[in-house]
Amino acid sequence: MGHPLLADAPGRIELLLGNEAIVRGALEAGVQVVTCYPGTPSSEVPDTFFRLSPEGDFSFEYSTNEKVAFEVAAGATLAGAMTLVTMKHVGLNVAADPLMTLAYLGAPGGLVVLSADDPGCHSSQNEQDNRAYARLAGIPCFEPSTAQEAKDMTRAALLFSREHGLPVMLRTTTRVNHLRGPVTFGPFMPKTKPAGVPKDPRHFVPVPVFARPMHLDLMAKMARARTQVETSPFNKEYGSGPHGVLAVGINRSYLADALAESGLEAEFSVLELGFSFPLPEERLTAFMRGKKSLLVLEELEPILETEVRALAQKAGLSLLIQGKDLACLPRHGEYSGRMVTEALYAALGRTAPTPVHCAGTEGLPVRPPNLCAGCPHRAAYFAVRQVYGDEATYSSDIGCYTLGLLPPLRMADFLVCMGSSVSAGCGASRAAGQKVVAFIGDSTFFHSGMTGLANAVYNRHDILLVILDNKTTAMTGHQPHPGVEKTALGDNPARIDIEAVVKALGVTQFRKVNPLNLKATTKALEELKGMSGVRVLLTEEPCPLFARRVMAVKKPMTAYIPDPCDDCGQCLDTLACPAFSKKDGRVEIDELSCSGCMFCLQVCDRIKARKRSA
Amino acid sequence: MSEAKSLRVFMTGVGGQGTLTATKLLAQAVLSQGLPVTAGEIHGMAQRGGVVESTLCLGVLSPRIGFGEADVLLGFEPIETLRALPYLKAGGIILSSDEFIAPMAVALGREQGPDLQEIKAKASACAGTVRFFSIRSMGKSCGAVQSGNIALLGALCASGLLPFGPEVLEATIRATMKPKVAEGNVKALTLGVEAFQTQ
Ligand code: SF4
Ligand code: SF4
Repeated sequence: MGHPLLADAPGRIELLLGNEAIVRGALEAGVQVVTCYPGTPSSEVPDTFFRLSPEGDFSFEYSTNEKVAFEVAAGATLAGAMTLVTMKHVGLNVAADPLMTLAYLGAPGGLVVLSADDPGCHSSQNEQDNRAYARLAGIPCFEPSTAQEAKDMTRAALLFSREHGLPVMLRTTTRVNHLRGPVTFGPFMPKTKPAGVPKDPRHFVPVPVFARPMHLDLMAKMARARTQVETSPFNKEYGSGPHGVLAVGINRSYLADALAESGLEAEFSVLELGFSFPLPEERLTAFMRGKKSLLVLEELEPILETEVRALAQKAGLSLLIQGKDLACLPRHGEYSGRMVTEALYAALGRTAPTPVHCAGTEGLPVRPPNLCAGCPHRAAYFAVRQVYGDEATYSSDIGCYTLGLLPPLRMADFLVCMGSSVSAGCGASRAAGQKVVAFIGDSTFFHSGMTGLANAVYNRHDILLVILDNKTTAMTGHQPHPGVEKTALGDNPARIDIEAVVKALGVTQFRKVNPLNLKATTKALEELKGMSGVRVLLTEEPCPLFARRVMAVKKPMTAYIPDPCDDCGQCLDTLACPAFSKKDGRVEIDELSCSGCMFCLQVCDRIKARKRSA
Repeated sequence: MSEAKSLRVFMTGVGGQGTLTATKLLAQAVLSQGLPVTAGEIHGMAQRGGVVESTLCLGVLSPRIGFGEADVLLGFEPIETLRALPYLKAGGIILSSDEFIAPMAVALGREQGPDLQEIKAKASACAGTVRFFSIRSMGKSCGAVQSGNIALLGALCASGLLPFGPEVLEATIRATMKPKVAEGNVKALTLGVEAFQTQ
């Protein structure tokens, strides 16, 4: 039996995650090439394609970073393939260069870029609003709010892109990527074989003389796109009240529920934009005309709000337009049903009744995310802290290992973005002469650490870079990268050796250790500490979760404390493996949590190993 | 599919407990009855012991539940039940585990968490119905701690709040899981149903 997402079964209803619905939509449109760099909340899209790839009729790759993913996708659509490229919002910053210019070149085969935004920073370093990128590049934008729409809009966006030869953005938010709902399947579209890139430099090589007419071309295409947005079935009106509400994305769901539950339905008319850019100017103007007021519901930046204010001015309309100026609609974080309810009341000059709910309890112990028991990063950090203490400044990067920031390890003093550990570390070291130790993971090294390392060598910086190679992209769900030996689908046939790359980049002061060997790691660190210039320590040990699930590694031993130990708590205060606990003054190790890394035995000689009991 | 009475269930637990599996299963059971369902999850770094919250909503579009909006609070861990209390509407229903999974700071003896008595008192002070079950033990007796979550779903089915009974959930378990896994989970489901009925 094939995977349900591949079933040619129009009319079938399946419960899908928003991200799975996007996959189905792309399959229905006849997607031929899919590229990505994983990142929450987008990751289940590429991960699902990866799992389907042995059975599916499409090409899929985890690219080394978002820029590369976008460029591979760009070449594919120029060659005539229907193409999807996926990333999280900050990934589009990395891919912004090809995005801006591909808009000029166009997308003959069709190209949709998924931008998975994260209002509220559930798993991101910022909450930028990527609808601005659709405006900046001048490309159309769809914003689904349910699983069904995630499927339907992905399909429609790909077909629209091919029809108009324009790249299209599918902009989601965490709530939409990670909701589950019923999805009714549609039919598969027939595929046409890509014809290859035509010999037509006038249209595909943007030297200035060609780029100028390309820009005009783009604007003409967007004008044609606009006429279709005016009548798009994804833009809907309901209600016939005197006050208008304009809503996009997940806010449309909050609004529908809030209207039904507040009993204010008779007061409002609603215009929902699912196909939200280019603006359906005529429809919006007609909608505003005759309304007493307009409430704009959009998370993050007041983009639509500003645009409709301009439209109203152009049309000579003087209705009251409200959005971010309402105290209940902040410019940061997510919206909610409650906020929308308050805004509806505010639009009527009334105050929403306060909901009655149970009281909260202050000061409950929190559960901050933590490195897993047996994580090799904890071991590497432990050794670095032993050798450097607070003497060094720690330049961190993005991955599980960012969690080393927590006490007792405290191994992150600053972090900018993917790949910044080495380059920002160089800047800090040069500016203030600080001793800098930078940390980068294996996947992030391939993403954008290599260029920073080349720069460090070339510009003769003084930095110790620790490459924490755990053989997978752990944080986002164990995706492969060029350096891995194994993937969930088998061996990596084209492995790139990090050590060879580091040496080829001109690094001569190099050590490689297994971080679970404390003595060897400390020794290597001490040697490197005595040197200056660019130094690299490569620590190699697979993430234990990945080792267990994918590499089928079994660790038969567990750590335990044969009593009596003196309960000094040193191991808790310096290593703090989550398998440790202290009950009634006694230090214990939980066998179920212990992954058997055997690192703590080297930290305290009272800890011993024994066979796992089950 | 949109005329059903609305029902919002807020679920909370600790990463690795199987909260999301339970959510998906329940959503699948609702869908198998042709009812409109939206479930919400936030995936993040949950594998590392953080709080995992999820929602199941019937008859509404939004997957989000705000303070005072949940009809039911399913707590897979008692401290998390307490933390999530504000989501419950006054007079709502709480079904919760009474077996602690200690947060790091508590496990290390650095902080003290609330005890069961405090949690029960605070829950009873505002909810209409409050029931606690030893779901991890139930799960263990069926072969896997994680099955304890299914036991709590069993209690939910037995409560009569859902528009269907435990037999629908049982059918969903059998339809979506490998026979061996399904067996343990069906057993846990039955334990949960019985626990609700006899308590
Ligand atoms: S998932 Fe792997 S790499 Fe990440 S914290 Fe856990 S053990 Fe460490
Ligand atoms: S061996 Fe020690 S450090 Fe490693 S997981 Fe077990 S308790 Fe933690």
